[in-house]
Amino acid sequence: MISESAGIENLTDLHQDITLNNNLQISDGENASFPKLRIRHVSKSFHSENGKTYVLEDINLDIKQGEFVCIVGPSGCGKTTLLNIVAGLEKADCGEVLANGNPVNGAGTDRVVIFQEAALFPWLNVIKNVEFGLKLKGMNRTQRKTTALEYLKMVHLSKFQSAHIHELSGGMKQRVALARALAMNPEMLLMDEPFSALDAQTRWILHFELQSIWLKTKKTIMFVTHNIREAVCLADRILILSTTPGKIKKEFIVDLPRPRDDNDVNVAEYSTRIMKILKTEIDKVVKCEMDADSCVECDIKCTSEESAKTDIGGGI
Amino acid sequence: MPSILKRTIFFFLLICLWELLFRIRMWPEYILPSPVSVCKTLIYGFQNKTFVIGIVTSMRRIAIGYGISIIIGVLLGLLIGRIRIFEETLGSLVSGLQALPTICWLPLALLWFGLNDKTIIFLVIMGAVLSITIATDVGVKSVPALYIRAAKTMGARGWKLYLEVIIPAALPHIITGMKQGWSFAWRSLMAGELLIVCLGLGHLLMIGRELNDMSQVIAVMIVIVIIGILVDRLFFVKAEKRIRERWGLVKN
Repeated sequence: MISESAGIENLTDLHQDITLNNNLQISDGENASFPKLRIRHVSKSFHSENGKTYVLEDINLDIKQGEFVCIVGPSGCGKTTLLNIVAGLEKADCGEVLANGNPVNGAGTDRVVIFQEAALFPWLNVIKNVEFGLKLKGMNRTQRKTTALEYLKMVHLSKFQSAHIHELSGGMKQRVALARALAMNPEMLLMDEPFSALDAQTRWILHFELQSIWLKTKKTIMFVTHNIREAVCLADRILILSTTPGKIKKEFIVDLPRPRDDNDVNVAEYSTRIMKILKTEIDKVVKCEMDADSCVECDIKCTSEESAKTDIGGGI
Repeated sequence: MPSILKRTIFFFLLICLWELLFRIRMWPEYILPSPVSVCKTLIYGFQNKTFVIGIVTSMRRIAIGYGISIIIGVLLGLLIGRIRIFEETLGSLVSGLQALPTICWLPLALLWFGLNDKTIIFLVIMGAVLSITIATDVGVKSVPALYIRAAKTMGARGWKLYLEVIIPAALPHIITGMKQGWSFAWRSLMAGELLIVCLGLGHLLMIGRELNDMSQVIAVMIVIVIIGILVDRLFFVKAEKRIRERWGLVKN
């Protein structure tokens, strides 16, 4: 259920491609095919000095087979926590997560995670890293080498198969991580801000690569990001998470043609609209992080004036 | 001036000073032999195989003892590093025992094993095992949580997680511990061989003392230093550097 719709008035006259699912019903048995991932009433809190803080509160979400879903929210809204719960790396306080109909209880090879940092193992070379999961599955040497090479080709890195990890650039590392995850042939990919540490050009290239891989493999992807443009560029469906407590605030369907470009006019337009909705959440975060009597705008003014003064002083 | 040249000149001057002290006859020859006679003893020792036998015997002992201490040290380190109850119990024992110089185990070892190789090997083990245990413990504790999470989502469980992820990830620390363990083991070996007379380089030192042959004592000391340095430089320093590079701990 989308619980918060107050404060966002002009959504109905959005671009017609954005279908706002205000009446998204979450009731069992409505979908003909059982969703790949089903999250029901998941809540998570942690104890801090001010008492109990809810990171996630009553999250309900279905992801269909082959769907690319992005979860967007300001930093600290619990989107990574949600992904970790789905991955089985963290436990929810209550609620349940069903992956392929089976309750999630710990990490599993059906849900491979790609982290913000590539998490490649430096003691193995590139192809051995891709083979890692296959080896654990018990695949034989030649078979896993062929499989690994196939996925390295998919991310255009077969040339670097025997390179060491410390020799790779950030973008190459993430591509190896992607190949490693895909080689496992998981039911779904869980991506936790995988491109946020990369420079803009690399990210732009990887957006294309990820889209083409997704079109080829039709994997179910849950992708967490704080970058709205990235979400619009990649996702079929975008979920906006509010902050403290983390709740699903809005949901958008993006049906622009693929492959999409970050700099495409339509992508930009969609992003601006979503940004407006997210702005109230970002303001909330900013307020929490700053003194009560200050504002961002006056800070910027003060600093620019001060630097002007020192410039003159330096000149004399 | 390149540092190798400075070093050569320094050692040359040192030997000249030594020769000078010998020439002015301040001490009798059985207290301070000349560098030339030490050199002769060295060559003679290798020619008649006594030094070779000494080196082989000593290296065999340290290989056995050090090998065992790597196995025990890594296992103990893993237990202490990963399991709470072992950290609280065994961990405190290990850090407590570190205060005990290895040679203090000698009386106990003599009673347990007698005057033989086993006692010396036991001393070598006790010398190296604690360093390796502590380094492995530190290494295991500093394995990035991200590696373990990533490995878990790819299906690593139980002992495979240890073998495939935790031990390799801790390797930079383990190799540092092994390096330190090696130098402790080498010291313990010499101490043991000096006190228990059964071949080995330490024994050659004692023979030199008994025969009042100072040049043999100094020659054996030189051999001991050279072996110690060679193993450290040719193996550990290189291995440590390579591992740190591969693991991305050194920024080029």
